[in-house]
Amino acid sequence: MIGAGIKRGTAELAVLSVLGDGALHGYEMARRIEQQTRGALRFTLASLYPLLYRMEKRGWVRGAWEMSPTGRRRRCYNLTPQGKKELAPIRKEWAELFRALRHLAEAPHA
Amino acid sequence: MRDWQELVRRELSELDLESHERADVIEELAAHLDDVYDNLRKEGLSEEESFQRSLSEVKDWRNLRRKIQIARRKETVAPQRVTQFWLPSFVTLSLSMIVLSLIGIFVHAHRIEPRSGWSMMVPPATIYMRWLLSLILIGATGAFLSQRAGGSQRAVFFSIVFPVMPYLAFFFVELPVMLLFNDQLAHIIMLPALFAGLVAWVLIPGAALLAGGLPAKLFLSRRSSTRGALAQ
Repeated sequence: MIGAGIKRGTAELAVLSVLGDGALHGYEMARRIEQQTRGALRFTLASLYPLLYRMEKRGWVRGAWEMSPTGRRRRCYNLTPQGKKELAPIRKEWAELFRALRHLAEAPHA
Repeated sequence: MRDWQELVRRELSELDLESHERADVIEELAAHLDDVYDNLRKEGLSEEESFQRSLSEVKDWRNLRRKIQIARRKETVAPQRVTQFWLPSFVTLSLSMIVLSLIGIFVHAHRIEPRSGWSMMVPPATIYMRWLLSLILIGATGAFLSQRAGGSQRAVFFSIVFPVMPYLAFFFVELPVMLLFNDQLAHIIMLPALFAGLVAWVLIPGAALLAGGLPAKLFLSRRSSTRGALAQ
């Protein structure tokens, strides 16, 4: 299980990554993240929406109301060009961090 | 069927956002809870268990309200300040300077050659009096722009009197600094002249701006409250 601090840091990466595949509404996003991380990252309503609103204000994602196939109104989020630009360096940073941590974890202890 | 909208509306009743924005947030969060609940029901959980599990998505509604408010308002405060204070202030300051320059150009273009000391005083006095009269309208403009953008009483007040701020800054900031670094200046400037300058460039123009701005603000406030009463 990943600790809370790391989860907070990876939350933006998780949202940007799943939105990279296409527009999603909040619940779908949470489900997709949970499935793709095999339950390691789980967003509740309380953790997801403040993050989404912050990212929307920064201009990384854009929300728009859409009608779902079941006839319900859902606010779907898309990555903006700025969000796409942010995704690559964040991915790179996290990949480097995890690589470094793996080296540290695998290093033989003196 | 659960009324999630009602539940979210009740829990976020103190969410301090624009009404349409609050309605959007409530609808969106309610839709999320609705999805969680439906999915749990599909997984075979009972109504009550699904309801309780859906509710557990939010442990502390007060904390969520605070977070949403910070997330959504933080960056909207700046544009609001721009439209409620900076823009009206910039307009009143620019207008007061442009009008002063135009009056100066106009008066000098129609100037009669001075024959006595008194007639030499006429152009500056004419410029000044016309400028004061124009400030009444400029003050009203500042009040209108700030009030229309939903400015607070303080924002409206400072938008009205903003054109005298540079002069006020000159008398209370620039001049004391100049006096500190220039010994000669202290001998040249006389206290009565300084006071006269303060009255002529800050107090009287400020009063003229308020003479136009305050009635305009009062009129606009009454009109909006009348509209509000009619809408109800």
